[in-house]
Amino acid sequence: MASRLTAIVLALASAYSLLLLRPKIGSFRLPGNQQGYEPVQPIAYSHRLHAGELQIPCLYCHFSAERSRHAGIPAASICMNCHRFVTAPLGALRAEDALASKEKRAPRLIVSPELQKLYDALALNEKREPDPSRRPRPIAWVRVYRLPDFVYFDHRAHVNAGVACQQCHGPVETMERVRQVSDLSMGWCVNCHRQANQTGVNGRQVHASTDCAACHF
Amino acid sequence: MRADEPKRYWKSLAEREGGAAYSERAAAEFDETPFAAGPLGSRRSFLQAAGFSFAGALLAGCRRAPVEKAAPWLEQPEEIIAGRSYYYTSTCGACPAGCGLLVKTRDGRPIKLEGNPDHPLSRGGLCAVGQASILGLYDSLRPKQPLLRGRAVSWQEADREVLKALAEARRSGGAVRYLSGTLTSPSRLRMIRQLLSGLPDGRHVTYDTLPAAAVLDAHERTHGVRALPHYRFDRANVVASFDADFLGTWLSPVEFTAGYSQLRKPLEQSPQMSYHVQFEARLSLTGSKADRRIRIAPEELPWYLAQLCARLEVKAQRSSGARLESLPILDDVAERLWQARGRSLVVCGAEHLDAQLLANYANELLGNYGTTLDLRRPSLQRQARPGDFAELLDEIATGRIAVLFLDGVNPVYDLPDGEQLARRLRKLPLVVSLAERLDESAEAAAVVCPDQHYLECWGDAEPVRGLFGVQQPLIPPLRGRAALESLAIWAGAPKSAADIVRETWEREIFPRCKAKEESFERFWERVLHEGWVEAEIEHPGSAFNPAPAQAALHRVTKTAAAGLTLVAYPKIALLDGRHAYNPWLQELPDPITKATWDNYACLAPATARKLGLTDGDVVRLEAGPERAVELPVLVQPGQHDNVVAVALGYGGHLTRRFANLGPRWLGWRPSVNAGGCVGENIAPLLERDGGSLRWTRSGVRLVPTGKRHALAVTQDHHTLTVPPRLAAADRGRRPIIEETTLEAFRKDPRAGAQGHPPPAEDLWPRDHTFPGHRWMMVVDLTACTGCSACVIACQVENNVPAVGKDEVRRKREMHWIRIDRYYSGPLGDVDVAFQPMMCQHCEHAPCETVCPVLATVHSSEGLNQQIYNRCIGTRYCENNCPYKVRRFNWFDYARDDRLANMVLNPDVTVRSRGVMEKCTFCVQRIQEARLEARRRGEPLRDGEVQTACQQSCPAQAIVFGDANDPASKVSQLLKSGRAYRVLEEINVRPSVTYLRLVRNRREAEEEERHG
Repeated sequence: MASRLTAIVLALASAYSLLLLRPKIGSFRLPGNQQGYEPVQPIAYSHRLHAGELQIPCLYCHFSAERSRHAGIPAASICMNCHRFVTAPLGALRAEDALASKEKRAPRLIVSPELQKLYDALALNEKREPDPSRRPRPIAWVRVYRLPDFVYFDHRAHVNAGVACQQCHGPVETMERVRQVSDLSMGWCVNCHRQANQTGVNGRQVHASTDCAACHF
Repeated sequence: MRADEPKRYWKSLAEREGGAAYSERAAAEFDETPFAAGPLGSRRSFLQAAGFSFAGALLAGCRRAPVEKAAPWLEQPEEIIAGRSYYYTSTCGACPAGCGLLVKTRDGRPIKLEGNPDHPLSRGGLCAVGQASILGLYDSLRPKQPLLRGRAVSWQEADREVLKALAEARRSGGAVRYLSGTLTSPSRLRMIRQLLSGLPDGRHVTYDTLPAAAVLDAHERTHGVRALPHYRFDRANVVASFDADFLGTWLSPVEFTAGYSQLRKPLEQSPQMSYHVQFEARLSLTGSKADRRIRIAPEELPWYLAQLCARLEVKAQRSSGARLESLPILDDVAERLWQARGRSLVVCGAEHLDAQLLANYANELLGNYGTTLDLRRPSLQRQARPGDFAELLDEIATGRIAVLFLDGVNPVYDLPDGEQLARRLRKLPLVVSLAERLDESAEAAAVVCPDQHYLECWGDAEPVRGLFGVQQPLIPPLRGRAALESLAIWAGAPKSAADIVRETWEREIFPRCKAKEESFERFWERVLHEGWVEAEIEHPGSAFNPAPAQAALHRVTKTAAAGLTLVAYPKIALLDGRHAYNPWLQELPDPITKATWDNYACLAPATARKLGLTDGDVVRLEAGPERAVELPVLVQPGQHDNVVAVALGYGGHLTRRFANLGPRWLGWRPSVNAGGCVGENIAPLLERDGGSLRWTRSGVRLVPTGKRHALAVTQDHHTLTVPPRLAAADRGRRPIIEETTLEAFRKDPRAGAQGHPPPAEDLWPRDHTFPGHRWMMVVDLTACTGCSACVIACQVENNVPAVGKDEVRRKREMHWIRIDRYYSGPLGDVDVAFQPMMCQHCEHAPCETVCPVLATVHSSEGLNQQIYNRCIGTRYCENNCPYKVRRFNWFDYARDDRLANMVLNPDVTVRSRGVMEKCTFCVQRIQEARLEARRRGEPLRDGEVQTACQQSCPAQAIVFGDANDPASKVSQLLKSGRAYRVLEEINVRPSVTYLRLVRNRREAEEEERHG
């Protein structure tokens, strides 16, 4: 009797735990696979706005991708090329202009709270001039795409071969917050290399090495 | 010797004596088996028991990767892109030779030093010490702040103390002395002058731990100028060297090696090479490369020189009537020198005035001044006057000094009566040390104002008169304050080091240069870009006065010393001990003895046999009353029987840091000795004669103590020999070294070939096609001097760890490239051959076939790739490698010093515990060059890929390139008659080809030696 009861309890328990684990099993990934990773960034920078709506080329900010292993996160001084003048979303600025002309006064300065973080990082005052009493502090972005230390990926090789950024990074121009689209597994890399060797990139024949030492050294 | 019987080579005396026990031991993986019967049972049962916990740890490791932050610049600097390497010129500050550097910096930090190929002295090479000096920058034990009587204080407080004492000295007329080694930096000298000029009794005194005072004094007498000639080995077709280790440690080894080996690369179309004869007591690196090597006792050296001069006098018909004694060898040397007069060179490294006078005389008789010896642009190294230093020591003894500055010198360590000196220094009113690290003398100083490393501050150098090099900071200062700035503050005119150096160059150097540029600004830009500049010099003519030399010729008599003579010598890597803090240099096997982490008493085999001593027996060396040092014995073939040779530079306080070095495990033993230091300081045994130290001392006694000391010697590690139980199938294997004589080479470029071609039939299908590049390497054994610069270059480039003395004893050193040193010939008079050995990237690689997880496979460009993340550590590959070049990570080697980690090359994986590693042919450099060429849209040109070992080689003995390109240098060399491959007969098809060793000998001479 007791043994049957034990059996029933155990069966129920295992069924219940399977039920609980079901979503986990469904989303099982190999350790290290970060696909879908979409961390919150210190500044709510929108790729959809900049790369999508405003159509700023990727390489305007990520210019290192042409010349270096890293695509690089742009320095704050690159943001300031525009944001020295643009301090808030265009809509908000226009609304203030309209309101000011209606009220017959000079438009007030509007600074969006996200851009304020940029100015704070650079230690700028209200006139966006350096404030010597404050210390500039670099912005600590959260890295989205990360490879293990034993893999060497080189942006320069891919960008110069004509591989589109979106091929690996997905439609970043539609993302409010950047998400890791591909799984960055070795199989994914090697498949693309094999295919590129057969079909070329943008109609151009390429040599994409599949030697181990192309990436591992 | 029968013509068909190959010459016999051996690495150690044990191998020479042979026997099955030796072969088994050499072929064994370890000298000592770990866990053979330890407290935890056998190794196997321990691993079984541990397996469960390993599995648990593995599961615990399955989690998402940690969040990684990335902080970009706030202001994008011009011309710097993250992840790209930039090269800046500088001048090496590791020794006074002042070689030109290209410093590779990455994201704001220097990570590798390369030789500057356009530098007129070093010509692209860089020695082991220079290569390793980058680690000194990231030394976390360098003091950050000044110390006032052992207490860390602010710079203001330290300066106040110094300024107060200087003001007091100015008022009361107290003596201020500035003691340094010979400084070649014009800016530093200017600031010292500025500091001392405002004082009533200020004097700058120099002393050199490795002196050349006898050379200077001799030239003062014979030429009227106290100068050290600039020796031009690149012009010397015949070199006779008397105890001058010019390829190893004497004056400017990189420059000398570059010049020397330029004339020692015989080609089929021009089968020429220079002739080099070496007279010496111990076997030096230079002696090991000599075509003829004569063992003489240090006491006999002047007499040999006198006999040489007497012969040359006769040939020049200027005989002064010196008696000629029968010495056939000297007849031959004199004849060769005379035939090459004007293109020959006699050098003498002994600190002996008569010997140096005679060397000058010989060179004068041969007409070498103006060609192979340059007195117009003399070397500015080692200019110290021993008399000045002796005077200073007297002043210290009597306490007549108000303020003493110590700049880059460590007399408490160097001098035999160092402890007494330390006590006296403590009694002086104020001693200020500018040491980078807390050495013995800094410990005795009241104030320590740490200087900066040469890579983090401005500086300059003038190693040869009129040749100026600039040092520029490549990282914001990590520690200390530039000595230039300290001096400016103490002189009462604070100024930045950058301004000081610019000012010197604008005022003193720019006007002397026939610069193309109008403005100093443009000139300065070019200097920073090129790293060096040559200035016009004024030269007062000097006439030769033979009288002092002739007097010496008649004065010198044949003397023989009774008993043993102690010879203290600077060792490659350690020199005078200034870099003893550097674990890479401590672990670099000495090119000759192959010992690491120790100094030892070298004894000739005959002497050792007579005394009943073998390697590792501890003896007490006694000299004078109550002066004794205990050292282990190392039996050194080729050494003079009456000599006991001991290396300098050991046993200093800088090595106390190694007390805990190496992976900590049950069997761990420290890298330091009972005294807490690495090796023993030999200084107590030396004699001080006024202001100079005598490096030789006759009549030392040697007392066996009965104790034993386990030396960490790598000479029998990773041997290519085969244990007897496997040898049957291997009979007829040819030697690993192939050599010939110049005479034979002239007759037949393939002379010396042992002729064991690979079998015609192949077990393997020819499935390796190399459609693109085919990377290959050629190593010239004639040019290679064994200097080991490549070993350290590889270590820096490829993040190779130092493992500590105990692990070296267990055959676990991690160097990817080693220099095998082979002896041949009679015990007393050995020939030496060096062979750099690294992964041979075999086409039929035995390691690849045995790897169960395909962690080592072949690339389409001929590289044998090791994939760390696949490796599970079976070590089958290591076992199956015929060249024994694979290294296993037994531990996660020390990576806990975060500052030291900044030297790591970000392009190379840091290997973790449990994986195999080996030479990759610097695949990261191949990748970088290829991607850059592709970015520019150009094909990869020959010479664009340089491996780290190749780049640093002062002799340019290593050539790397694409064998599929018929025009490449490597393809040309592969066609040479001297080309051979090691172990070709086992058909592994290595990608490394060696060029046969050629000695400038007659065939008959060779047969006589080895008959």
